[in-house]
Amino acid sequence: MSHHLFILSPSDTPIYSLTYSSTKPAGNVSSPLSSNLPTWSTSAFAGTLTALSGASSTTQHTSGGGVRIGGGQDRHVIQMIANASLDAVEEVMRKENTMYLKSVDKFNEWTVSAFITPGNSKFILLHEAKNDEGIRAFFTDVWELYVKTVMNPFHSAQRVIKSNVFDARCRASAKKYL
Amino acid sequence: MATTSKQYLTRGEDLWKGRAEKVNAELFALTYGALVVQLIQDYEDFAEVNKQLEKMGYNIGTRLIEDFLAKSGLGRCTDFREVGEVIAKVGFKSFLNIVPSVTHNAPVPNSSRPTSTGSAPQVDNGSSFVLTFDENPLAEFVELPEDVLEGGLWFSNVLCGVIRGALEMVQMQVQAEFISDVLRGDEATEIRVRLVKYLEEEVPVGDD
Repeated sequence: MSHHLFILSPSDTPIYSLTYSSTKPAGNVSSPLSSNLPTWSTSAFAGTLTALSGASSTTQHTSGGGVRIGGGQDRHVIQMIANASLDAVEEVMRKENTMYLKSVDKFNEWTVSAFITPGNSKFILLHEAKNDEGIRAFFTDVWELYVKTVMNPFHSAQRVIKSNVFDARCRASAKKYL
Repeated sequence: MATTSKQYLTRGEDLWKGRAEKVNAELFALTYGALVVQLIQDYEDFAEVNKQLEKMGYNIGTRLIEDFLAKSGLGRCTDFREVGEVIAKVGFKSFLNIVPSVTHNAPVPNSSRPTSTGSAPQVDNGSSFVLTFDENPLAEFVELPEDVLEGGLWFSNVLCGVIRGALEMVQMQVQAEFISDVLRGDEATEIRVRLVKYLEEEVPVGDD
């Protein structure tokens, strides 16, 4: 089960992205579409179809559901989902005052949760299973790390966060909560 | 009356507590950070930025020493070793609330030095001490990006200037420089202060 985190600046430029594969079992997350595909369609067509169905995996034709790994070819789909959810995020943002907006959008099996900081930076998390408390804790952790990064005098608001320390700490936090 | 190390620490502690106006540490760190970043943008050469930071520190130091001596009421230090102790335990404590540890080094023996009939302070020339900081309030939240790391910037170089300026006002010419910095990936943050010479009082030109 993998998660994708995107951090966007107030002007919606992507500042940071992280893909994390959790080792925690997520239950049965087989995509309804791919299971209907005949086994002979291993061509690019099938690849696209499974990609569009939101499954984050290079198609594994092992029976009984193979392990899903985040595939490089599906990256653009993930980003498309994230971008599409921004509209939904903005809508909810206007209505509610809280920072943690639970699940804002759903796309097949992917749920999009969002967290808006007081400075209008958006954290978008794509995930498959429901994990509200864990995700809330994760977002709060990432928020703290983000604040510390922003305080660095050498960091400018629009620039991508390249710091290895930030990356390592985000991963550790993801491991803890997701 | 020889003042012990513990008495210096107490003195520093009292001075810190007695100071009425303190400033928020985060504001201080952010201000200094903004200053360094602006200098980098203006000069674009890290060696030059180091020099400017040191110069700024020098100006601060020449003024700071008066405030320090007035508030602390300490007398003249007997030797350079004591200078190191006072700077670390009273000076840094009263202004930044940190106490760096001091390691003293005897002067490097120089056999070609002409035998002088001067007084004891001459023996100190060339002696040095190293201040080791385990925390640096100037560098909270700071992470140096790669190009800055390679350029050789000493982020807290202003401290070296402060030490040099302050000691010059009390008739000591020193060289203060960073040896290592945790921001650069080293194990500890260290400044070496080396005594070059004691300055003689000079009679201004024109006096009879």
